[in-house]
Amino acid sequence: MLVASNLVKSYKRNAHVVKVLQGVDLDIQEGEFLSIVGASGSGKSTLLHLLGTLDRPDAGTVSLDRKRIDTLGARERDRLRNSTFGFIFQFYHLLPELTALGNVMMPAMVGHSMFNWWGSRQEARKRATEMLERVGLGHRLNHKPRELSGGEMQRTAIARALVSKPRILFADEPTGNLDAESGEEIVKLLRGMNREQDVTILMVTHNLELVRHSDRVVRMAGGKLEMGFKFAGSGSKLVEKLELAGST
Amino acid sequence: MYKALLCWRYLRTRFLAFVCIVSVMLGVATLVVVNSVMAGFSTKLKDRFHGLMSDVIVESPSYNGFAMDSDQMMAKIRNSPANEHIAAMTPTIEVFGMIIYEVGANREQITIPVHIVGTDAQGRADIGGFGEYLRQPARSKNPSFDLTPTAMKRWEAFNPRVPILLPPLPLPGQAPDITPPPVEPLKPIGAIPGYGITHYRLTDPVTKITKDVEVLPEGTIFKIVTVGAGKEQIEPVSSNFAVADTIRTEMTEYDARYVYVPLEYLQRLRAMGNRVTHIQLKLKDYSKAALVTAELRKIFPDDYAYQINTWEEKQNSLLAAVEVERGLLNLLLFMIVGVAGFCILAIFSMIVREKTRDIGILKSLGASNRGVMQIFLCYGFLLGLIGSGLGTALGLLITYNINPIEHFLFKMTGVGFDRGVYYFDAIPTKVELMTVFLVNLGAIAIAVAFSVWPALRAAWMRPVQALRYE
Repeated sequence: MLVASNLVKSYKRNAHVVKVLQGVDLDIQEGEFLSIVGASGSGKSTLLHLLGTLDRPDAGTVSLDRKRIDTLGARERDRLRNSTFGFIFQFYHLLPELTALGNVMMPAMVGHSMFNWWGSRQEARKRATEMLERVGLGHRLNHKPRELSGGEMQRTAIARALVSKPRILFADEPTGNLDAESGEEIVKLLRGMNREQDVTILMVTHNLELVRHSDRVVRMAGGKLEMGFKFAGSGSKLVEKLELAGST
Repeated sequence: MYKALLCWRYLRTRFLAFVCIVSVMLGVATLVVVNSVMAGFSTKLKDRFHGLMSDVIVESPSYNGFAMDSDQMMAKIRNSPANEHIAAMTPTIEVFGMIIYEVGANREQITIPVHIVGTDAQGRADIGGFGEYLRQPARSKNPSFDLTPTAMKRWEAFNPRVPILLPPLPLPGQAPDITPPPVEPLKPIGAIPGYGITHYRLTDPVTKITKDVEVLPEGTIFKIVTVGAGKEQIEPVSSNFAVADTIRTEMTEYDARYVYVPLEYLQRLRAMGNRVTHIQLKLKDYSKAALVTAELRKIFPDDYAYQINTWEEKQNSLLAAVEVERGLLNLLLFMIVGVAGFCILAIFSMIVREKTRDIGILKSLGASNRGVMQIFLCYGFLLGLIGSGLGTALGLLITYNINPIEHFLFKMTGVGFDRGVYYFDAIPTKVELMTVFLVNLGAIAIAVAFSVWPALRAAWMRPVQALRYE
């Protein structure tokens, strides 16, 4: 479904060029819950940004349903991010001026012009409320982010990412800022959504405890994918070890 | 939709936005006040000039006046097509001279150079801008040079002498009249000097309170010296006049220089026969002034001997100077709004920096560069709109209460509006809706213009860069 092929990305830091990705190939299947693990600076977040069209690769391609998306124009990329992709981040990234409900309604607002918003407003509000109820925040609709706990903020972010029924959810260290218990809950919630909504999830984490909830896990080191493991269901039993194409 | 929502939320929650609004507000309020006061001054000046100078003036450059009888001239005008636009017409003589009067126990002689206007009081009042400035209320309604009974008594106390008058100057082609003028019974010739002539201003060195001291009360005799008409040689002529009333136009220059005297008497004093130096015309509709001057030029084709101008053409340089002053002040004050603009630029740059992560979030949710830019442009527009709205309200509040405010400031600081310069009792103001609208438009345009750069910076920010911003 979403295929990355030979992705290369480097950043300039002062006079130095840091090679973050050095030829990454990855194939994500429809409905899959894939985790990417690796040490800090291994390039996992960068990979996620390239796949989610938040950034452009220096070389290589990203394709969705066999169509290249890394070369799309700004408008198409905006549309992809609005309706096909959803994002959650380590620091929740909620808009502090808006309530939980306002934050969850934001993708619908971005996707509608001022004029057709008035027609779809009630529907958007209904969906956002339902989504917040599903992540267990039905009682927190009108709370501002500063009035929510870390776990609640991340749940709100999940509700916002899933409210427009995206096909793929990119989760960048979603538990990185939470305690173990809250982190576990969040990943379980993601797993539930993955099954119920049939949303494909790509999660970047360095918490090895949590990857057991995913279908597959790949490890990144030095800007390359090293190896992958496949889990059966949500259990922790390792069933297969895969050599990834292009890994050494 | 999210643009309007976020824009509004940013406006409500940012203290810095309040600072921007205040700076725009102060700039706009200043501009509104200054423009209203300048327009007030300008209108009052124009009113006064216009009042003193009638709509259209036919003028002779010669101190002898036109080489034509004034009745004949006016008949010519009445028979021309220009007549249908003329509401009133009066002949006047304007000539330089000086007045001499005595003050104090030592009978010290005071001499003042003046502009003498010989006119028919009622005729001049019909032209406008004369009767309403006379200080005696009764005379305002029925202008004349007659002395009041009180003035008569004072005049009699002076024991005046009979003036000696010269024979009149003949018109071209006429033989000189050698019969001496009849001896007139002794009666006062009333004159109306300006307020600045009959009064002088005294500032108490201790209390700093300024008051006007009257030196020429009604009935006082003073002498006017001017030149007699005559082609061969210039002869000084003089006569005593009695103060009948005082004219106060609130224009220092005019009040300190103008003396109105009866036309016929001035004609006889200057031996002019029935000649005059000016014909003043009041029009039914001033917009027809160009048409009237064109018609008049046809009947008086000698454009040197008959100089025909509208009052605006005569006062062109002064009116232009007022407009230039106003333009310059506006330019300087718009620089204040420009400073407010830089304030917006600085504050917006800070807000964009502060909101960098929000920009990243919005872009990750699919917001376009244009959308992000519009948030900040809309923000700038709202700041400008609210700032200029409040500024207009504040400006109008100050404008309508400028005199109490000035009194208060004068009491507190001792610095204020110098009535000695203007002779205005109050600071004149005039709120021009168009000017207020343009000031608002300018302020909003500046607010939007100065938010363009921060808005573009926000729009061009790469989502990853914005999301990673700590």
